[in-house]
Order: sequence, then structure tokens, then C-alpha cells
Amino acid sequence: MRKTLEQVIEAFRMDEQFKDQIEHVRVIPATAGDYAPLPADLHPKLRSALEKRGVVSLYSHQREAYQFARSKQSFTAITPTASGKSLCYHLPVLQTILENPSARALYLFPTKALAQDQKSSVNALIDEIGEPILSYTYDGDTAPGIRSKIRKAGHIVMTNPDMLHSGILPHHTKWVSLFENLQYIVIDELHTYKGVFGSHVAHVLRRLQRICAFYGSHPTFICTSATIKNPKQLAENLTNTTHQLIQKSGAPTGKKTFLFYNPPIVYPTFGIRRNAILEVKEIAKHLYESKIQTIVFAKSRVRVEMLVTYLKSLTAKRINDESIQGYRGGYLPSERRAIEKGLREGTIQTVVSTNALELGVDIGQLQACIMTGYPGNIASAWQQAGRAGRRQEDALVVYVGQSTALDQYIMNHPSYLLKKSPEEARIFPENMLILLDHLKCAAFELPFKTDDFYAEFDVEDFLDFFVEESILIKTSDTWHWMAESFPAHEISLRSASQENVVIIDQSVPTKTRVIGEMDRYSAMTLLHDEAIYLHQGTQFQVEKLDWEEKKAYVTEVDVDYFTDANLAVELKVISEDKERQFDGFVVDYGDVMTLATATVFKKIRFGTHDNIGSGPIHLPPEELHTSSTWLSFEFPDGWKEEELSSAMTGVAYAMNSFIPLYIQSDRSDVHVVPQVKAIHNGQPTFFVYDRYPGGIGLSERVYDLWEPLLERVYEHVEACPCQNGCPACIGAQDAGETGKEHVKQFLEKVLKRG
Amino acid sequence: MYTEKWEQAGLRAIENKFGTVFLKEVHYPMDYVHGKYPLHLLKEAVARWQNTNHPIGTTEEECLVFYDTETTGLKGVGTYIFLNGLLTMTETDFVLKQFVLANPSHEEAFLYESKLWQPNQTIVTYNGKSFDWPQLETRWTLHRAQLPTLPKQRQIDLMHSAKRIWKKELPNMKLSEIERSKLAFHRQNDVPGYLAPPIYLDAVRSGETNALMTILKHNEYDLLSLVTLYIEASALLTTIDGNETAKTYTNIGKWYKDLKEPSDSMYYLDDVTHSFHQTEAAEAYFLKGFLLKKQGNFEAAYDSFEKSVHHLDNRQQIEAYVELAKLSEHQFRHIEQAIGWVERAISELERATCFKESTRQSYLQKQLHRMQRLHNKLL
Repeated sequence: MRKTLEQVIEAFRMDEQFKDQIEHVRVIPATAGDYAPLPADLHPKLRSALEKRGVVSLYSHQREAYQFARSKQSFTAITPTASGKSLCYHLPVLQTILENPSARALYLFPTKALAQDQKSSVNALIDEIGEPILSYTYDGDTAPGIRSKIRKAGHIVMTNPDMLHSGILPHHTKWVSLFENLQYIVIDELHTYKGVFGSHVAHVLRRLQRICAFYGSHPTFICTSATIKNPKQLAENLTNTTHQLIQKSGAPTGKKTFLFYNPPIVYPTFGIRRNAILEVKEIAKHLYESKIQTIVFAKSRVRVEMLVTYLKSLTAKRINDESIQGYRGGYLPSERRAIEKGLREGTIQTVVSTNALELGVDIGQLQACIMTGYPGNIASAWQQAGRAGRRQEDALVVYVGQSTALDQYIMNHPSYLLKKSPEEARIFPENMLILLDHLKCAAFELPFKTDDFYAEFDVEDFLDFFVEESILIKTSDTWHWMAESFPAHEISLRSASQENVVIIDQSVPTKTRVIGEMDRYSAMTLLHDEAIYLHQGTQFQVEKLDWEEKKAYVTEVDVDYFTDANLAVELKVISEDKERQFDGFVVDYGDVMTLATATVFKKIRFGTHDNIGSGPIHLPPEELHTSSTWLSFEFPDGWKEEELSSAMTGVAYAMNSFIPLYIQSDRSDVHVVPQVKAIHNGQPTFFVYDRYPGGIGLSERVYDLWEPLLERVYEHVEACPCQNGCPACIGAQDAGETGKEHVKQFLEKVLKRG
Repeated sequence: MYTEKWEQAGLRAIENKFGTVFLKEVHYPMDYVHGKYPLHLLKEAVARWQNTNHPIGTTEEECLVFYDTETTGLKGVGTYIFLNGLLTMTETDFVLKQFVLANPSHEEAFLYESKLWQPNQTIVTYNGKSFDWPQLETRWTLHRAQLPTLPKQRQIDLMHSAKRIWKKELPNMKLSEIERSKLAFHRQNDVPGYLAPPIYLDAVRSGETNALMTILKHNEYDLLSLVTLYIEASALLTTIDGNETAKTYTNIGKWYKDLKEPSDSMYYLDDVTHSFHQTEAAEAYFLKGFLLKKQGNFEAAYDSFEKSVHHLDNRQQIEAYVELAKLSEHQFRHIEQAIGWVERAISELERATCFKESTRQSYLQKQLHRMQRLHNKLL
């Protein structure tokens, strides 16, 4: 019998099986919509096309967007899932093209799947308008036969940053129609352009603007983003333009109930909880039987498959029952439309997906969402949670925590998830290596004249450097490209160093293919022989890392453990650029040189975190010159070196877990290293450095955040229910029974926290 | 830049309203022989086209420009054309003009002096349609504010012709291969094409011109060979002198068929079937079959297909069986004969490896249906 969601939630909370694990319940009340009339100047065909779809008025944010766009004001809109974000750009773009058929727009999406979806949806709208407006995707999959047409006549060109970087900008003379008439550049999912990738894209956009100026156009930027702390700052850094910010969504929302569900502790000494996936199974089953349309997010394909298999066993007796669907990345638009349809018609009941689905791709809305663990940042968490809730109906989100520090932190601080995001997305276009790489591309694209700037950068010295390198030659007032190479091919947008390790999947011997790249530094600890490497939710094992050739050969596997490698790091301070004090401590920011040697790796079982094996790593040490912040203090009285070392290791582990709370970064972007006796001053020191040559701006931010970071560590260790330390707080320690005590004492007495 | 050195090497500095460009100019008398032919046979070649419709056919009124470039790279906006080579015929001689980009700041002068912006020129190249001309358009676009518009000139790309004429006859379609085997021209000490960019880049930076002049020589050979190639291709495409292989003449017959010129096509295919043994003429018989069928000459078509079947490649053989079946069924109403042919087609299709699996399946299905239909007719 079909119950209302309200009833199901009540029943769930009372259920013997579940009720003790529900640590918190939070309800976000429904909100009314904030509406605005359709703009008066709207082209009649556009107006009637909208009306045919039932759009008779706009949400306030859509109207604001239209106004900004039409008055040529660049802006960024925060657009939660299901808030009609695409009209924020389609509307002003289509209106402009209808008024002036030679106008053009460029849409940037981070993935092809998103681009394809948006192309389908805008083409549907264009069909209803009934005017000849041409909209195409232009990427690696575009058939050669229509490329010429798109270049000459495409009103809306949809592409991704990689294609723009190496397929369009270096061939800009073939795109004269586009660049001469470019009115709008749409950047969707702005928050994905962070870290190294975002820094690269910031340059691609600067090169784009330079080329537009050459052809005489000055396009307006339209950006949409999920919730981050600093959307305006990110947008302005990314595009080198001033933005207005649209913060509030006018879309109405239904009541959302959040259940924070913590699996029971099964090993109290170690603080280990029951495997989250087992809990998720039960909850999903319960919702299925209550006939609530649910989406379940799991972290890897293996887990997705496990859940789908388990849930399908519930329907085994019914023939042709499609009610349980697994979703992985790489589905065609037609397959996604089929899922959407199934959900609408009620034939699909439960969708189980990896995090691949979270990136804005539309499959319709569901009633409930189960999150297996914290997806690592708030924007992703909200994109997952945002899948639950059809306009103005009730929704349920169940967050199931795993045994990691971050997950447990969220479990204990529900307001972190529910309030405005404190996570910043940072980019660092000033990174020297990245800047030089793109300056080369810019010089290839259009010669620089003396007194020319490259965006906000003064680059004469760099251009002269390129002359010495026989890449450019200088005539009286101009630097010309004079080399055989094609610089865009020498850069990977997702890495800061050249000479990346290429990852080759040889699971099928006759069909080996490159699945990704990784910078050398990270490769040492993530791609060593026998490492388990997770790629878009699929597990691979590294069969061989050919360091000479910079190739890692991997095969798909299905195992129940992960690997963790130790890095022995020697650190040397090269320069101090900033210094400040707090509570008697000195913190600095500057350049460091690290020499890292990967030594051994451990195999650690999921869930229990047992150490089930280990092995040596045979790789030469890697040097890394980067930015770092560090905190030094006097060697405390009464402490033995061993004790101090172990306590500092625990604190470093915890710090590493919490940095992502403040800055959107992966654990591998920043590295925390404790040293009992630092080389530069002989004192115990915590180093936090960027894992990319030249620095990427993250440690610079941490320089300002030492106090809250240490507070957070203390609170968390204090509150952790384990006895002697666990992966959820200070890491699985070998220090026996006193490890956690020492850390607490260290934090209280030496670092004066609490 | 290194003006003196370039002039010593034999390049003349020319000033125009945009700046300076360097030029090497060579005049050839009409009877100058390059490879197989004296250059003046170009006039005859043009005259041959009077009564034939073909993409490479030209008229006396056209201004033919044989064109080849050398560039600093393969693609992209940062690749420069550093050598524009143009060979044209005048009333009295052949003129080669090689413009060299000595200073990238004078690119407008370099581009302007080529006079390619003057309308009504027919540009003859080797792979120029995909490479040289688009490169020129790219360079032109960067200076479009200053230069006169570059018009869309007629393009004759002889690489396409070479592929069409000598398909499967030559190991590759490089101009050097064609020179050797078909144009009787053998280069001595030629610098390979891929060295052109580094040699030029070095010349620009160091003023070292010796190696640069070898590139100009290479370009000179390329252009002269283009003329010889045009003469040869025009001859082959308008007359049969019997010196080529069955395959070549069949290729030409097929080309005319694809161009929807059945009488020209038939001219060649007939010649092949008359002059060569049935084994070598198989494909010609096969193609003739289609032409004859279209003409309504079904008996002859059948005969032609039948003569072709035993020496065709697998794909064409199956097609021939099917055509024979269709003619038997619809034109001659000879059902048993048709069945015989379909059986052969099916038997070949079942073990064919030349098709994509899905194509093979659907092709096979069609013949099975045909078989069914034929059997029904028998009853």
C-alpha cells in the first residue's frame, strides 16, 4: 500500500532496526516561489514557445539573470538542482539571436554528457520557436562532416575546456564568424573549475578573451554554480572580469527531511563502525518496499553493482521488472531519457548510482536520496541531496556516515551540511608553470607586441625567455612564434607538471586504452606497482609502473581493500614570504623544497581497516619545489622525542582530514608533514604544502586558517568515541594504548587548544 | 634581419606597399624538359579537355597557377608559410616565382606579392585543397584588415586525381613516388620535406642560407612535377595510349562512372575488356554490367557480369552474384537460374570477412528473403 513520504519517515524513525542509529533529524521547511513576469521585450515566438511548456512567468533569479545578461553585465548565479538554471542562459541568448541572427554564443561544460543534455534541451526549445537557430556540440565526438558548418553558422556552440584549449583557440582563423559576433560565454558548473584544473581553465578563458578582442567582440560571461563560499571571487578570478552575483533562487522548494544515520559501532576499542554499505542496503530495501522513488549514491561501481544485485533479488520473482536501475557514467542521452521516463511513469523505483551522476546531468527528480558517506565537499553533497524533491513535494535525504574523520565530523555537526557552505573553491593562475604553458599557447595564437599585457600579467621577461629558448623571435616591436611545435598538445589541463604518468587500462589485452593521467609526484604514492587505483568509481590494480616511460599499466579488479603508501619527505625552507604570530606561535608562508621517497605501502581492508599486507616501493626520490605554510614551536619540556613524533603524526592526520572543510581540495592536493626537528630552525614544525610544483594557492590559504583548523582537530579528537585512536580521528596508530591520550595532551598543553 | 646574406644566396629583395619580401625568380624556355615531357605540352593538355567534362578539365581562358608552399609546422594559427612557390605559363615561357618570408613582421608584404588575391585564377596543387590553401586562408585572415580579400579560387588538387587513377597500383600516393614511377623524374640529393621547417627556422635565426636554398630547389622540383603530372593525367583521362595497366584504365572508367559520364566511362571499360585478358578485366566487366543495365541492354549486362564473377574480390563478387540473380528474376524470368545465383551469393556471404558484422547480417537476410521469394514463385 502506498504511504505518503511523511508516513514513511515517521515509520522509519520508529523502526526498531533503524531508530537507534539516527543521530539527528533536521527539517528544512518548504519555501514559496518568488516569481517575476516574462520580460516585456521577449520575442513573440520565444514567448509562445515558453507558454507551450507551461512557463508563464519566471523565477526571480531567472529574471535577474535575463536583465544582467541583456545589459551586458557579466554575472554568476547560484543555482541549486531543479531551479531552472538553464533558462538563466538560454533565455537571453535565444532572445539576442532572434533579434540579431548573426549573434553567437559559446557554452562551456565540464563534461560531454552535460553538453549533450543541454543541446537536446535547447534544440527542443528551438524547434518550438520555429526559427532557424543552430545549436551544436563541438568536441572530439563531432562528425568531421559538420564541423565546417558549425564553425561558420552555429549560433550556439557547446564545448568543453579541453576542446576550446587545443581544438578551437589555436585554430581561431577558422572561427571568424563565431569570434566576430560572440555575445555570450556561458560557463556552467563554475565550481568544478578549482585547483589545478581551474587554474588552467582560467588561462584558457584569458586566451579566449584575447582572441575575441582581436576580432572585435567583447562577450558577456554568464556563470552558474553550485553553493560554495566564494562564487563571486572564483568567477572573477576565472574570467578576469567583474561579476554581479545572484545568490537567491526563486524556485519553490518542498519540505526536506534530513536523517543523519550513523552505523552502529562494532569494534569499540578501535571505534570502527559497521560497514555503511550494509546499512544503505537495508534502508534502500525499506524505501523500496514502501514504494518511495529513491536514488542511492555509492562511492564505487563495485558497490553500485552490489546494491543493485541485492535490491534486484527483492524483485526476482517478477519478470521484466525494471524497477531497480544501476547508473554509471557514460550513458547516452537516449539512455538517460529512458530512465527519466521510467521515473515519471513509475516503472523505475530505485536508481543506484556512483558519484558520476552528480554533475548536473538530468534524469528527473526522485522522492528520496541515500548518500553513502560524505562525497568530499558540500557542493557535491547538495547536488546529491538535490535529486530528492519534486517541486513543492516533500523529500527525504538519508546521510549514512562511514568510519572516516570527515564523515563523522559531518555526522556530529549537521549544521555544517545544512548551512551556507564554508568551503572555498580556489584557483591560482599565477602559478609560474601554468602561466608559462599558457603564455606559449597565447603567443602561438596571436603575436605579442611590446607593451601588450597578457590579461593582468606583465610578460615581457617571459617572452624574452621564450626567444632564448628558440620558440619566439623578436622583430622591432613584436614577438612571433617561430617553432615547429603545437604548444596546446604539450599541456594537460588537469595537471601542473609536464611529463605526467599516463594510465593505461589493459584489462582487455586487445583493447588497451589510456584512461587518464597523473602528475609524477602523486603517481609515486598512488600508482606504484600493486597499488589499488580508483578511477571514476572503478577499481584498478597497477600491474606495472614504468617510471622511465612514465606509463602505468592497470587492470580492472574487484577487491575489498585499498592501498596506502608512505612517503618519507625531507623538507627544506627556501624562502619566507609571510610571517605572523598567534598565541605565542609563529606561522610562516613561503617556498620549500621537498625530497620525497615512497617507501612502503599497506593493504587495508575496507570497513575494518585491518592491515592485510604490505610491500616495498621501488621508485627514485622526487624533488618538488612548491609553496608551504608552517607552524613551529619550542620543544616541550618533559616530552620524549618518540612521544612527540607520534602525537604530531596523529595531529597531522587529523589536519589533513579537515582542510577540505575550508578549501575545496582533494586529500592529495595538500600534504601535511610533521617534523620533530625541522632543518631550518631545529624546532618541531608542522608543514602544510601544495602538492604541485610552484604552488597552487592552497597552503597560502591555510596560512590564514591555522587557528580554526587546530580548534577543529581538538574538538574532534576530544569527541571521538574510540579509545586509542581510529581512522575517524587521528588515524590507526601503532602507538598502543596511549596514542590518543598523548595527542589530546599535546593539543591541550603544547598547542594550547581547548 | 639578414638582408645581405639572403641577397648573396640569390634572393632579390622586393619592396611593396606593405614592406619587403624576398624573391627567387626562374624562367624556363618552352622546350624545357622535366621528367617525361617538355613543359609546352601543357598547352596540348589544356586543349584535350575541350569536349570532356571533368573536375580537372581546364580551358585556355583560365589562368593556371601551379602552387606549393613550405610551412614552419603542420597546423594551427602559429604556423607560418615561409615559402610561396608559384609556377605559371606565359606566351613565351614558364615563370617560377618563389617568395620567401624573411621577416615575420613583413608577412603582409609576403602575402600581397603572391598576387593570389587577384580573382579568376585556377590553383593547381598536390594536396593543396586540404593543406596549402587553408594555410594561406589562415595567414590571410590574420591580416585581413590590411590586405585585399582573398577570393575563393578554383582548386585543382592533383593528389585526388592520382589516387583515382592509380589506386592500388602504387605503394603510396606521395608526389615523389609518382615522380619516380610515372613521370620519369629522379631527384638527386633532394632534402626530405620534413627537414624544411628546422632548416628555415635556423636560417631565420642565424642567417645561414645554404640549406635554405636546398629547400627552394625541393619546392622547384615539386612545382615542375605538378606540371608534368597535369600533362600526364590529362592525357590518361582523355585518351588511351595502351601503356598503362588494366587496373589503371578501369580506375579511370570507374571515375567517369562516379561522375555520371557513362559514355566516357564506357569508352575506357570497353577498351579494358577488349585489350586485356578476362582475369585482368574482371572489374571492368563488373562495372560495365551496371552501365549496360542502366542503358536497358540486359543481355549484354548479364554477359558482362557473368564474365566478371570468377576474378573479382569478395565484396564485388557477391554483388555480381546478386545482380545476376536480379537480372535472371526480373528481366529474363528465369527463376531457377536466379536461384542458382542467389545460392552462390548466400554461400559467399556466410563466410565473408570483408563486411562489418551487422552489415553482413542484413545483407545475408536480404538474400535469404530473395531466395524465399524465388522458391515461392516456383510453386
